[in-house]
Amino acid sequence: MKFKVGIDIGGTFTDIIAISDTGDTTVHKTLSTPLDPSIGFINGLREVAEMRSTDFEEFLSSVDTIVHGTTVATNALLTLRGAKTALITTKGFRDALEMRRGIREEQFNNHYKNVTPLVPRYLRFTVDERIDAQGKVVKKFKEKELLPIIKKLREEKVESVCICFMNSFKNNSHEKQAIKFLRKHLSPSPSKRAGVRPVFVTASYEVLPSIRFYERVSTTAVSAFVGPIVANYFDNLIKKLEDIKFKGTLLVMQSNGGVVTPDVVKKNPAVTVLSGPAAAPTAGAFYSALLGYKNCITVDMGGTSFDAALVIDNQCVTSTEGSINRYRIALPSLDIITIGAGGGSIGWIDNGGLLRMGPQSAGAMPGPVCYERGGTVPACTDADLILGYLNPDFFAGGKLKLNKTKAESTIKSALADKLGLSVLETAAGMYRIINSNMAQGVREISVERGYDPREFLFIVAGGAGSIHSSEICKELEIPMFVVPNVSSIFCAAGMLLGDLKHDYIRSYFSSFSKIDKKHFLKVFNEMKEEGVQTLLREGIKSPTPPSPSGREKAKQVLPIGEDLGGASIELHPTLDMRYVGQYHEVPLQVEWTDILNFNLENVFEAFHKEHNRQFGYSLKEEQTEMELINIRLRMIGKMEKPKFLSSKGEAHNLEKALKEKRKAYIPELNVLQEIPVYDGDMPLGGAVIKGPAVIEKITTSVFVSNDYDCLVDEFGSFVVYNKLVYPDGFKMKKEILVSSL
Amino acid sequence: MSVKIDKILVSIFQRAFKSITDEMSISLTKTTRSPILCEAKDFVTGLYDAKGQMLEQTENLPILSFSLGPVCKVILQQYGSDIHPGDVIIHNDVFSMGNQNNDVAIFKPIFHNNALVGWSAAKGHQADIGGAVQGGYNPNATEVWQEALRIPAVKLYEKGKLRKDVWNLIFANIRLQMVQEDIKAQIGACTLGERRLEAFVAKYGLEVFESHKQALFDSTEKMMRAEIKAIPNGVYTGGSMVYFDGKHKGSKFPIRTKITVENDNITFDFSKSSPQTKGFVNGIYTSTCSAITLTFLQMVNPNIPHNEGMIKPLKYIVPEGTILNASYPAATTFGNHLCPQIADSIFKALGPAVPERITAGWNHLLCSLFTGNHPRTGKKYVDICFLGLKGGSGALKGDDGYDHIGMIDASGGVLDQDYEMYEQQTPHMILQHEYLCDSGGAGEWRGGLGTETKILLKGGDTTMVVFGDGDVEPNYGLFGGKGSVLNKIELKYKNGKKLIPMSKDMIHGIPDNTRYFQIAGGGGGYGNPKKRDKEKVLQDVKNEVVSKKAAEKIYGIKS
Repeated sequence: MKFKVGIDIGGTFTDIIAISDTGDTTVHKTLSTPLDPSIGFINGLREVAEMRSTDFEEFLSSVDTIVHGTTVATNALLTLRGAKTALITTKGFRDALEMRRGIREEQFNNHYKNVTPLVPRYLRFTVDERIDAQGKVVKKFKEKELLPIIKKLREEKVESVCICFMNSFKNNSHEKQAIKFLRKHLSPSPSKRAGVRPVFVTASYEVLPSIRFYERVSTTAVSAFVGPIVANYFDNLIKKLEDIKFKGTLLVMQSNGGVVTPDVVKKNPAVTVLSGPAAAPTAGAFYSALLGYKNCITVDMGGTSFDAALVIDNQCVTSTEGSINRYRIALPSLDIITIGAGGGSIGWIDNGGLLRMGPQSAGAMPGPVCYERGGTVPACTDADLILGYLNPDFFAGGKLKLNKTKAESTIKSALADKLGLSVLETAAGMYRIINSNMAQGVREISVERGYDPREFLFIVAGGAGSIHSSEICKELEIPMFVVPNVSSIFCAAGMLLGDLKHDYIRSYFSSFSKIDKKHFLKVFNEMKEEGVQTLLREGIKSPTPPSPSGREKAKQVLPIGEDLGGASIELHPTLDMRYVGQYHEVPLQVEWTDILNFNLENVFEAFHKEHNRQFGYSLKEEQTEMELINIRLRMIGKMEKPKFLSSKGEAHNLEKALKEKRKAYIPELNVLQEIPVYDGDMPLGGAVIKGPAVIEKITTSVFVSNDYDCLVDEFGSFVVYNKLVYPDGFKMKKEILVSSL
Repeated sequence: MSVKIDKILVSIFQRAFKSITDEMSISLTKTTRSPILCEAKDFVTGLYDAKGQMLEQTENLPILSFSLGPVCKVILQQYGSDIHPGDVIIHNDVFSMGNQNNDVAIFKPIFHNNALVGWSAAKGHQADIGGAVQGGYNPNATEVWQEALRIPAVKLYEKGKLRKDVWNLIFANIRLQMVQEDIKAQIGACTLGERRLEAFVAKYGLEVFESHKQALFDSTEKMMRAEIKAIPNGVYTGGSMVYFDGKHKGSKFPIRTKITVENDNITFDFSKSSPQTKGFVNGIYTSTCSAITLTFLQMVNPNIPHNEGMIKPLKYIVPEGTILNASYPAATTFGNHLCPQIADSIFKALGPAVPERITAGWNHLLCSLFTGNHPRTGKKYVDICFLGLKGGSGALKGDDGYDHIGMIDASGGVLDQDYEMYEQQTPHMILQHEYLCDSGGAGEWRGGLGTETKILLKGGDTTMVVFGDGDVEPNYGLFGGKGSVLNKIELKYKNGKKLIPMSKDMIHGIPDNTRYFQIAGGGGGYGNPKKRDKEKVLQDVKNEVVSKKAAEKIYGIKS
């Protein structure tokens, strides 16, 4: 048996899923070890081997791939514990990084502060070089200008350096000279090399070679800031894996939802800032395809936050407009909206006497009052407990006893008495308000991007989300939601469903009428070659095996214009374009064949259509000219997907699965009512559970509200559908063939 | 029979209204073409009830915080029962509650069972509005017609049908095709708001909507009144000065405010301010009330919802004929830019009463607008030099000012152009754009930093319009804090000649390779600089935003 393992390290838990080539699955949660997350990583692997009653070494030898999601880079950015970083930039532009184009996000709040720059001003150096808007050298770069800077870098014991020069997207020769010189001078001499880490050096042309100085300098600084920490972490992890004699492949989840080898990450560490959450939409894409859907919304409600993301045409939606902790990162990342709504979200009363929820959170520590870990303010989980959705004796399978009396008395004194409502009314109010907040978050990611959420399958990951989803869906008129079988370790599972993914970008500022076909194709071909070579190194097989005569021939296998059909490599070109006169460009996905054949008419037609879809009008009739800003190429190396075991013939277990009857709040009727509670860990494939009901698993609870029924599908996932929309029950859209995915 | 108020539902109403006006704003950002709209976001979107009371707004630029409501009431009065589903009404007229000629509003009525239940509205600063000078800033104007086309409330659509004759009449008087596209985008945003509010009222029913909306206003009013009550009762006075009306060199015009706080009521009285000027440096009722509102909002809890309840406890007295509410047919385009002086006078007045809530002086606007031909595209370009005009905000108790934030009317809502995009879209080359050392007014809490900007003007025959202030009197410090440096714009021609334009000016035919130089001053400091935390001073010296000399002389710290 061969295994694939997904490991997602979060703040509190490290989630692990191991799936064999026959679909045999082991799911495990272990405590994270924040000081050195690789310890939790190895512990988890060991525990999985124990759960399978296998010798550790034997288990490891059967693992061919480990896919890893890490928050090392995310946390460095959130806690500002990155490397001591310097920036070298063009004379006159020392402050662009800190100015952030002069924005203050909260305009009426004079106490609102700018972010602490990742590079402080005294470590931002300038050199007197200049390239103009056309890429012509106006002032030559002189290496000797770097000498006093290098001296200063040594004095200040700088650990990481980034370079970003004006207009380098047009001409990167100055950046290349500078990076070469710095790498040479900042490496420790051979005699001192042992134990000394060379200074991390990167330049904007390596990170994001595209127009817009601020986005580029900010993204490059992020990469440098997290660079040494990420590199250290992977060196350490790889060494530990070597120590335990792991012989398979280690892959890393990136912010764009694809995976890469650690080598690629070490070169551009900024690609991992959303490594953890990026897996949920990836898993969502997989599950929705299983149910015959092309589009889905994935939501993940944790302790402090609620993440929502979109999948369109079975692809996760990416955006280049993201930021973390107000630090701008313009690399393609999954478009994930995060709002402050989680199990720990605190209920409070504002000065106007109105009840509010969040965004402040009690987090996991001290947590909601009912955890009895020192929490004193009422949180969402306290309300969920009072409303009967949670079982005080079976939270996390009974590992954490919940104190309902305490939750009630706190809600009474902190909220209910002040509002003049009963405890139950107040808890129901907390439930409704946080549901409404989350619904607005879902609306933001869908409606505000021009999509109708009603056409989407709603996939719920994470522990708390599945008791709130009936109401969220009702508010948005979404007819059904799905709680996948492995929902609480959804991200870890998602790791195993990603493909190798590399994004390339080149700026190409031109009106379409002035594009030189040969040059345009050459730029695309450069990106393609870079991608193909990287994917081949990562183990993707080229369509025709390279002939014995070596690399030269291997290159010839993939000349521009050659069909890559049959290969496990896919090309997805995108053009960032706009109508001449517009300011904001629109990324337009185009067909590779249209690029190869330079078929611009198809591109124009597609742009009119996309503009109309997003903004409600196009300028097709006016025949308005269009211009190009950037060209992008995404290279995907298709990975084999694991199989999941399935069964439909378990409906007869339903009677046995009935645990008890319990009073729970029914929002449609606004009453407490006795409803059945089922054991969701029993195999129930094919069963239909009538709402209202609660389904309890060790890792999560599902609330099926009054207007809903729940079908347990053949993988044990819960498909909860609105019976007013599906009066005859819900049917799968198609017969599912896992192997075809 | 009155409906029982569900307090929870009131919270949900507030959140839902906000999400609608936000959604309208996002749509406008993405669809408009003029950089003043899609980059600088000089627009506001809002929802109003059937009486024209504000349900919620997303102002983007704070100066627009009071600019739609008064117009909505004018429209209701003008049309009475002649308002129908599918109507679209356009308006800009400053003498019927508009705030600036270029700010054109679109209103759409919203119906439920054939009864008017509300309005969706969007107002944006158009790239051109007719008048004598492209872009609307005409320093030579003395009457409104030299500035703009006046559009009193008029229907663009009646019962869903475009009134092509009206449309053609309006746009025959506006230079740029772009403005038509941007008005279409505004109508689109209103349609979005209309659809969502319509569905919202249908979901809850009219009775619940009306009663809970009122409960929301009441709750917000309660919050606002609590904030006012925290200010000691009294009569407070403050003042500031406006320099140069664009016509008479050396002219100056005082702004005087009298603020009366009586329990949970507050009145802002500007009666004693200067009479109106003969030039275009004149405010108008709506723009002045916006300036007052945004300044006061900066002094209270920033989480107060922006609806009718927020405005209700505020009283404004701005008599006609003063510089802050000029009489028909005065020129008034500069009126929005009197906001810094209005804010100064309010902060200075309330300083003794609530010293912990006010800031020292913010940098005032001094701005240039370039037009010319771009040799590489062969096309005309217009560019407001946002990146150069933004100085620092004043410090306040407990916090330094915000660096490079720009004037208080925008409070950090206007983005700088990206340098590389700027060099693609204009022929010019940016030589420098950096913080200016020692520009933040010294104090226990330092004023925000100003900037210095150098641009090599290329292409030849460039026209530059300058408008603003802040080049005579520096931004003030408070409670022992120091003021900042003055705003300055200077041209240095290739032949070595220098030119310092006036603060309202127009310069034609600027030759290729002329150097443009600008300083945007910092904010004022708060408290005695000698009391500033030593570590902070040393950090500022290390970062070269405070000189060693200033550290020793002003802060008393040797480094």
